Amino acid sequence: MKKLYSNKLVILSLVLPGIFVFIFAILAPISLSFYYGFTSYSGMGKAEFISLDNYIELFSDKNFHISLRNSLFLALGFIFIQHPLAIIVAVILDKLQGKAEGILRCIYFIPNVISVAVIAYLWKFIYNPDFGLLNNVLKTFGYQGQINWFSSDNAIWSVLVVLIWHGFGWGMLIYYTGIKNIDPVLYEAAAIDGANTTVTFFRITLPLMKSVIQVNVTMAIISALKQMETVYLLTNGGPGNSTQFAANYLYQQAFKAFRYGYGNAIGVVFIIICLAVTILLNKMFQEKKIA
Amino acid sequence: MKKADKKKTIAGKSILSFILILVAVVQIFPLIWLINFSLASSVEMFTKGLLIIPKKIQWGNYIKAYVDGHFLLYLKNSVLINVLAVVLVIFISIMAAFACKRMYWKLRGFVKIVLLLGMMIPIHATLLPNYKIYSSLDITDTLWAVLIPYVAFSLPQGMFLMTSFLDAVPEELEEAAVIDGCGIYRILFQIVTPLLKPAIATVSIMTFLNNWNEFIMASTYLSTPKWKTMPFSLLEFTGQYSSNYAVQFAVMALTAAPAILVYILLNKHITKGVAMGAIKG
Amino acid sequence: MKKKLIAMLMLVVMIGALLAGCGKEKGKETGSVSQGESTKKEEKTPPKDENITIKVFSNLPDRKNGQGLVEQMIIDEYMELNKNVTIEVEALDEEAYKTKFKAYAMNGMPDVVSIWGQPSFIDEVLDAGVLAELNETDYNDYKFISGSLEGFKKDGKLYGLPRNSDVMAFYYNQKIFEDNGWKVPATYEELLLLGKSIKEAGMVPVAMDGGDGWPLAILLTDLLLKVNGDCSSIVTPAVAQGNFTSGEMKKTTELLVEAAKSGLFQTGYDSQDYGTAMNLFTNGQAAMFYMGSWETSMARNQDIPEEIRNNIRAFTMPVVEGGKGKATDIAAWNGGGYAVSAHSEVKGEAIKFLNFMYQPDKLSKYGWENGVGMSAQDQTEFLSGNETELQMQFMEFLKNATSVSGTPINDCGPSIFKTVIESEIQSVSNGTKSVDEFLTNIGLACK
Repeated sequence: MKKLYSNKLVILSLVLPGIFVFIFAILAPISLSFYYGFTSYSGMGKAEFISLDNYIELFSDKNFHISLRNSLFLALGFIFIQHPLAIIVAVILDKLQGKAEGILRCIYFIPNVISVAVIAYLWKFIYNPDFGLLNNVLKTFGYQGQINWFSSDNAIWSVLVVLIWHGFGWGMLIYYTGIKNIDPVLYEAAAIDGANTTVTFFRITLPLMKSVIQVNVTMAIISALKQMETVYLLTNGGPGNSTQFAANYLYQQAFKAFRYGYGNAIGVVFIIICLAVTILLNKMFQEKKIA
Repeated sequence: MKKADKKKTIAGKSILSFILILVAVVQIFPLIWLINFSLASSVEMFTKGLLIIPKKIQWGNYIKAYVDGHFLLYLKNSVLINVLAVVLVIFISIMAAFACKRMYWKLRGFVKIVLLLGMMIPIHATLLPNYKIYSSLDITDTLWAVLIPYVAFSLPQGMFLMTSFLDAVPEELEEAAVIDGCGIYRILFQIVTPLLKPAIATVSIMTFLNNWNEFIMASTYLSTPKWKTMPFSLLEFTGQYSSNYAVQFAVMALTAAPAILVYILLNKHITKGVAMGAIKG
Repeated sequence: MKKKLIAMLMLVVMIGALLAGCGKEKGKETGSVSQGESTKKEEKTPPKDENITIKVFSNLPDRKNGQGLVEQMIIDEYMELNKNVTIEVEALDEEAYKTKFKAYAMNGMPDVVSIWGQPSFIDEVLDAGVLAELNETDYNDYKFISGSLEGFKKDGKLYGLPRNSDVMAFYYNQKIFEDNGWKVPATYEELLLLGKSIKEAGMVPVAMDGGDGWPLAILLTDLLLKVNGDCSSIVTPAVAQGNFTSGEMKKTTELLVEAAKSGLFQTGYDSQDYGTAMNLFTNGQAAMFYMGSWETSMARNQDIPEEIRNNIRAFTMPVVEGGKGKATDIAAWNGGGYAVSAHSEVKGEAIKFLNFMYQPDKLSKYGWENGVGMSAQDQTEFLSGNETELQMQFMEFLKNATSVSGTPINDCGPSIFKTVIESEIQSVSNGTKSVDEFLTNIGLACK
């Protein structure tokens, strides 16, 4: 068996497609980014080597700082708004177990399967101050003003709301499954001890879902970092640069401002940040698991 | 005493039900609004009310959307690209996972980590260099320009799930097969792969959900209608019909429809797949 | 147990079938792709009357109205006359177009492309040498308005042809104005007051595409002309030195900010795109719409309710009190046009098609007949009496103009300057940045 299982040729044939895809679609572009990051290449003509200039500029680029701050904002929004909401709804759904449970879960999840392009355009209309759904809802409740959902102060919140709405079903579903996996005996025991709902929630449900929550939080932070498509279509970083994100910014710089080299430098830093954050999060949660 | 308790639980239950329904309304109402407006005429949209009762139901909006939005062509492209991506991801990830998990070689740990690394790389950072690469290879505006990155960025997740599901496959089965004289390929594809059925389902669903709605790569790498995918009909329409909102709404509804229908039909399986993926992940 | 075994077997078969199926399909795909490529290669060296494909990349996605319709008409006509030529069009919105154009410029462009004869766009494009040189003497009889070719030249050589003479104006709904007793303002101050009363009446005064930044930048240009009587004497040195902090620039920017503050534009104008702004106007929600002469075709657009489309009129930016500019100094320039790719495999045929489009009785005539703004060629001979009133108005603007602004400010510098000013102008107009910050930042972008 061991001999058969160490046949180098067979191994090679099995991993080669994967390695090929990795080299071609991930390693090669990143190396190329790395190279262009050191140039002042405009996208056309010749590339000129300018050593670290792009990175130095990036370091003090306010719009890049805003991008990172916005990612942080989104991550916090996911962690403190979306996920608590998802957990609460999951718990209630589990508690009630009515006939409608399946239908409700289905409804919650539907936004998830819709294309980001549709979502972004749809919400553009929903937020429209003149005929959008949201202001009309406020009007039916008696509010007379006309709110500008994309003012530079509101815009990032509006983006957050769209993302929460879009991803809610996913988070909810995962928490719901997590809750379902908790041994019902524990709840029975708690009930015998006279624990009320709140106590069982904080003493049993939450602690037992710790690993699920950790996975979800990690995913939330990473998706906040990687945010691009919704913002690209919804606000394209505006007004001003108030809803700018790293991925969108590098795209703009390369294809709009004719700064392909600088765009790639942003890409390189962006990759490094993503790697660092992922590793850091994994480390953090692993240590906690041991403790 | 008991009666009061009961009353309390009933009251509590109705509050809880109310919360659930409220959330459901928030999630679904925008879509109802979308469909409603897509059946009206553009002029009717400037209303103060929530929904509108169109004077005449404008099915014509959908005809325009269907015809001028290249609906069938883009749907076909989307389906084809996604099915190919799913099949390739499954195929490659099973092979790689098996080699890294079960077979004996020095670099297996390293290769596994390298392949999983892709999970941490932000897709969008590769947009600029990939564009350069594809255009110098002359594969922009072909199937490959989107298929390759779609596979590449779904592969790590697929590989990850396959590896963890492989744990559950008993090695004894393989040992027996080896004694029977099976080769590796036969063991992998005829004995191990069928046992990975739930993993395959999960990976398919995840890959499909990831790529079906993708558009920024598609819009960067594709240019002629030949391979354009569903989200494009929307992007093109906002330019073409900028002065006709109702048709834009119809296009949005039409673009969203296939995925929603499939989801409703396969609701149970998809839910299971996603949940499984998340728990394992 | 048996059941499980059968199920397992079935699965194996299914997966086998699936894989086989995929293999086949993949084979098919590669087949068709390489086929496509081989046909392409055949086209590379076309014997005289063999099939030729010209790829046109256009910034006019609406092929059924206005300029897009005109372009399509000429393409259809050309294909009708030259049966061996197929013309494929890829059309995108202006912003998406420019993005993709730059991406194309990196490696191989379509044969005929839309371009803009303005420094922000064309300087880098010409430096990279991606456009084919045209022979200027070929166009002696094409009746181009004098000076209109200048923006498309580098070192005296011609690389593109202008399509339009653009004039910026306020479109307004005459009927709404009359019903409410509103008058076309004679000064900027009156415009702002008018805005206030329109707002009080519950309407949007001016629909503004602020999400894109460039209409705001044109507004700034328009105002600068009214303040200073001329734009280039301020803008050209400012771009060269990276310093915009002159008194005139400051005053002009303040005027712009004042308009935004007084509520002249719709709520959320700084995040709404072209389509949204235009729809506010064409659906009777806004009384005015600040946009260029290329939208005069609104008067003929069947998607716009008749009552509105028949009542669209226009006026140019009124004078600013104390400013040096006259009412007849207008924001106008020659911007968009076409060029041929330098590396086109069918360059000869592409230039032939380009020249066909620019025969005075094509783009220029059809454009005029379809109410699409004004071309960069002399159109007086096409006057037929069937023009919309809107068209005649714009013609008058241009005829009576005492001076024109030339290239809008955002297009006067390198593309990084354009990117910065179009985003910063949103911030300054909505009050998140001060006028001084704005002027400093756009200056820095030139360096």
